[in-house]
Amino acid sequence: MISDDDLLLYYYRDGLDATERARVATALAKQPELAQRLHRLVAQLDTAAELPDVPVPAHIQQRWQGALMARSRARPSFRWQALAATVALMAILFTVWVSMKPAPEQIADQPSPTSPQAAGAPPETVAYERGLRWHLANTEQRLAKLDTAQPDERARLVEAIIEQNRMYALAADRANEPQLARVLRAFTPILESLTDERRETSAGDIAQLSFELRVMQARLKAAADPSTPAQPIAL
Amino acid sequence: MLTSLKSWVRPDTFHAVLNERSVRWYNACLRITRDADLAADAVQEALLKAWDRRDEFRGKSELDTWIHRIALNSAIDLMRRRRPQALEESLDTEYLMAANSPHGEYVQEALSRDLITAMQRLTTIERQTFVLKHIEGWRLEEIAESLQTNANNTKQALFRAVRKLRVDLHVWRGES
Repeated sequence: MISDDDLLLYYYRDGLDATERARVATALAKQPELAQRLHRLVAQLDTAAELPDVPVPAHIQQRWQGALMARSRARPSFRWQALAATVALMAILFTVWVSMKPAPEQIADQPSPTSPQAAGAPPETVAYERGLRWHLANTEQRLAKLDTAQPDERARLVEAIIEQNRMYALAADRANEPQLARVLRAFTPILESLTDERRETSAGDIAQLSFELRVMQARLKAAADPSTPAQPIAL
Repeated sequence: MLTSLKSWVRPDTFHAVLNERSVRWYNACLRITRDADLAADAVQEALLKAWDRRDEFRGKSELDTWIHRIALNSAIDLMRRRRPQALEESLDTEYLMAANSPHGEYVQEALSRDLITAMQRLTTIERQTFVLKHIEGWRLEEIAESLQTNANNTKQALFRAVRKLRVDLHVWRGES
């Protein structure tokens, strides 16, 4: 005996296992009256679903439009904002990273690690520069993960970058590299904005950072020029 | 692809989809909540969520399906949070007005009344299960998850709803 409940689930193709479905299918094929029962059942249910659509009241339509307008004016979507900030930061980091790498001719001129010149460099300076390079590379990797990270993970990553940034900014101060320290500190508000959906990273902030980078690049270029006097920082 | 994506995220395109599809979303939520304000709130929640994620959609159809789905879930959540049984009459009035209006001529008033009566006899879970299954076509597991129950309870709620509706609406199928 096939119940109406079984017929209903058979009709919905949901809630019956393969064996039960096969049993109902066989019964339907053999018993025309069962097929009629199923037909009546579905017709009744379709009648029950015939409530007419009501129009959306005008004031509700206006409310929705208003809410959307307010949202669209409030700020760009968080994903785009985060993406823009991440791209800006990665560009900045890449520039700093590239500028720290010695040019090929500088590599050729560079003394080997065992040379007296390298051996003469203070060990803390060598360690600081190595650490800074690691930090910049590591930050790049972490930023690349931000877009796909869950909010908790993103917050943890950003917090770790900010903390390391703070340490290297202090180290840059101690190494008499105030420009690098300032750039590293300037990352912080942008990084914070990546975890705060309510906060907007302004295009002005990013433009200011880009400007400072260009200034630094110009100075670096000048420092690399053998005709200009040597500068204290190898940033 | 990029060109279509860029044009797609434009606010005016988004608003055009809203104008085109909102009646469907709103009525789906009305059937779940039986309350006009809750239905409007549910659709608004879904719209704002969709707006925040608008760059992820690849066309009107995807956006429509997504909003419809999120709006229904929002409607269920709002019902759960506010439980507005006292306001259920408002929907019935609204449906009857639609049936009596020039736009609702195709629906017989008597059928609408009987449908409303039949729906009133259903409990909230029975009505929501029936609407989500028979009208919206959700899987039983999906309904169970959304209603925070299990598949067996969902199945039983559906069976009860169907029995009640068949009793109340049998005259409309020429049955005794």
